[in-house]
Amino acid sequence: MKLISVKPVVDKDKCIGCGICSKVCPSLAITLVERKAVVNEQDCRGCGGCNQRCPVYAIEMVKLDHPYTVSVDISDLSYEAITELCQKAMLNPEQVICYCTATRAEEVAGAILKGAKSPEEISRLTGIRMGCKVECIQPILRLLDAAGIKPERPAGFQWYGLTPKVWEISEKIKAKYAEKGFYFEEDIKLLKEVVSATPERGLQNDE
Amino acid sequence: MTNKPITPGTNSFCSDEMADRGCIMPMAPRASQYGIAPEFVKKRLAEYPEMTSLTVKELFPDSPDVIYPGDKGMAGIRAAAEKALAKVDMSMIKPGQSVNILASHHGFTLLGGEPYAELLRVVYDVIAAKTGAKDIRLRAGVGLRFRETEEYIKRYKLDEHFKGKAKGMAPIDEGIAIQTEIGTLYGLKAAYDADWIIHVHNSDVREVHFHRQVDRAVKPFGMSYARIETRSTYHWNMGPRGANFTARSIFDSEFVKSKFAFAAFLDMCPSGVVGVRAENDLYALNDQLTVNGLKYYGKIMTLLGEIDECIVGLDFPCPVPYVFAAGVIYANFTGANQDLFDLEKPLPPYTWYTEAFYGKNGKPLIAGVSPMNPAIRMVVHNYAWGGYPSAFFSEHIPTIVVGQEQAELFDRDPQNLQYMSHAVTASSLDSAMHFAYETAKTDKVVIFDGAMGGINVSRSLAEMLLEKAPAVSARVDKELMPKWLKQRGIKPEKESL
Repeated sequence: MKLISVKPVVDKDKCIGCGICSKVCPSLAITLVERKAVVNEQDCRGCGGCNQRCPVYAIEMVKLDHPYTVSVDISDLSYEAITELCQKAMLNPEQVICYCTATRAEEVAGAILKGAKSPEEISRLTGIRMGCKVECIQPILRLLDAAGIKPERPAGFQWYGLTPKVWEISEKIKAKYAEKGFYFEEDIKLLKEVVSATPERGLQNDE
Repeated sequence: MTNKPITPGTNSFCSDEMADRGCIMPMAPRASQYGIAPEFVKKRLAEYPEMTSLTVKELFPDSPDVIYPGDKGMAGIRAAAEKALAKVDMSMIKPGQSVNILASHHGFTLLGGEPYAELLRVVYDVIAAKTGAKDIRLRAGVGLRFRETEEYIKRYKLDEHFKGKAKGMAPIDEGIAIQTEIGTLYGLKAAYDADWIIHVHNSDVREVHFHRQVDRAVKPFGMSYARIETRSTYHWNMGPRGANFTARSIFDSEFVKSKFAFAAFLDMCPSGVVGVRAENDLYALNDQLTVNGLKYYGKIMTLLGEIDECIVGLDFPCPVPYVFAAGVIYANFTGANQDLFDLEKPLPPYTWYTEAFYGKNGKPLIAGVSPMNPAIRMVVHNYAWGGYPSAFFSEHIPTIVVGQEQAELFDRDPQNLQYMSHAVTASSLDSAMHFAYETAKTDKVVIFDGAMGGINVSRSLAEMLLEKAPAVSARVDKELMPKWLKQRGIKPEKESL
């Protein structure tokens, strides 16, 4: 779930039509019309990426008169199916996978089970990736991959692709760096423990 | 009543004299789109009469001497940089070729930022003089505040020094695929769009919770020079101790190696700049800095872990986790109840992997997760920026934010929409401190205000730190340092690097 409280406003006089804003927008909410940036407010989730990368400072973020939230309701989905998808992506359904919006894996899995087929669509539905716009792309791509979905890359720089994971690193590489301070096997064990943890357990710290 | 300022490095006093000593006054608030306007910062924690300063040398007499802060000022930095660069081979750079000097935001937060800016200027000057190259650019990467280095480029007039060829880079900018030993990762196109790259950084340990002092010198290749896919790999795909392997993988790629010319670092310790180091072999530099980082920062971090109870004051122009005291960032103090350098311990109390290991009921999903440092009874957030997801801190540690303007800043920040859901607001620093003292029931205060050369604390805490420092020093030398080095594959004889 994400609260949407701001929106971008383009100063048409300043806009030079370079299109950078549209190339970085994680929800594909910006297009160029007659060489000027135009924001589709229906799709915008207020991340401010356009404001932060506009080379001529033509985009201002302004408060919405009526803030709103976006979220995917997973109550009508099988939690078993959600768990299965998350675990296939090496995630626990209760894990927060976006530190800015506190979106959990279960909600993104729910969005995918309800038909979302790309990171952009998932962002519009859940609001994930609408804070820093940086850290959560891999869990999103991993969940899509686990669902057998190969999303089509947008034309801009929104994302490029899946990257390596520690549990896929070869034994040769693990052995090569074993003495250099990397604890690959131990970390894999830890990550697997989290994936299979029973969320309801409710441990205390240090238990 | 306000405290009188003292000059770092000049004071030497015993606890009996504490009543007469002042505080190291912190850097003035900075105008930035990521923080409140300086005029809204009405008072600093260091102004209170119950606060005092300790220099790092007082706590640990074996701390290295520094060239900055120092009598020579910025001239000392320039001289050290020129001397270090004189022995670097730059013959691979030909007059008609292009050079990208790669920088990161972090350096500009150290000691007012000018030492790092000066190092960048010297690197430019020496390359131009030694090689005849004219197309020398500054490419300055960021954390999660995409215009931060743009602000620094203007502030330090680096665009003028680089003849208009200075620009910031953000992780959402156009990328390039880099083939590595473990698969494809992604760098920023602007970082690599020259014939040669120069890596200009610093050795301040900073995010020990992330990199665990493993390959510290290489980290920007997986962060400030990298695309979102790579940075997400670091924090999601590699595990809490393997994260920095992402950076090593990129640096070791044929593509990056084919462009890398040399590195120049500000060699930092908790009290300032020890010197400048420059090398063609980044791993040789990495080994030196790993040892020095453990040695220089290990003692102060271990000492701060001895604090039994305290109120924390945040009072520096950078995001919440990065405000620092004696070279230790607040994020590391939230994990100071654990030895962050000990690689046998998989999870720091705060790191993004840890944050992701909490379930919906607010409890860890697995056993063995240490809580955020229970010694921190309350946080008074007098002045710190947004632009970094920080709600986990206010959720786990009682937090008072000073001023409605600051609360609103966080409420508008897309990375911190929940920060104020867990914090309360006070109208002034005085009322926040009154509430904190009354509620936390302690008079020990540690201020994360980046005080140069030392640490600002309450008198009660100063006395405790002075008392505990000798034993901590001995423990680090005899027990911890050998263990830390062994865990990183560094033989004890290299300790004198």
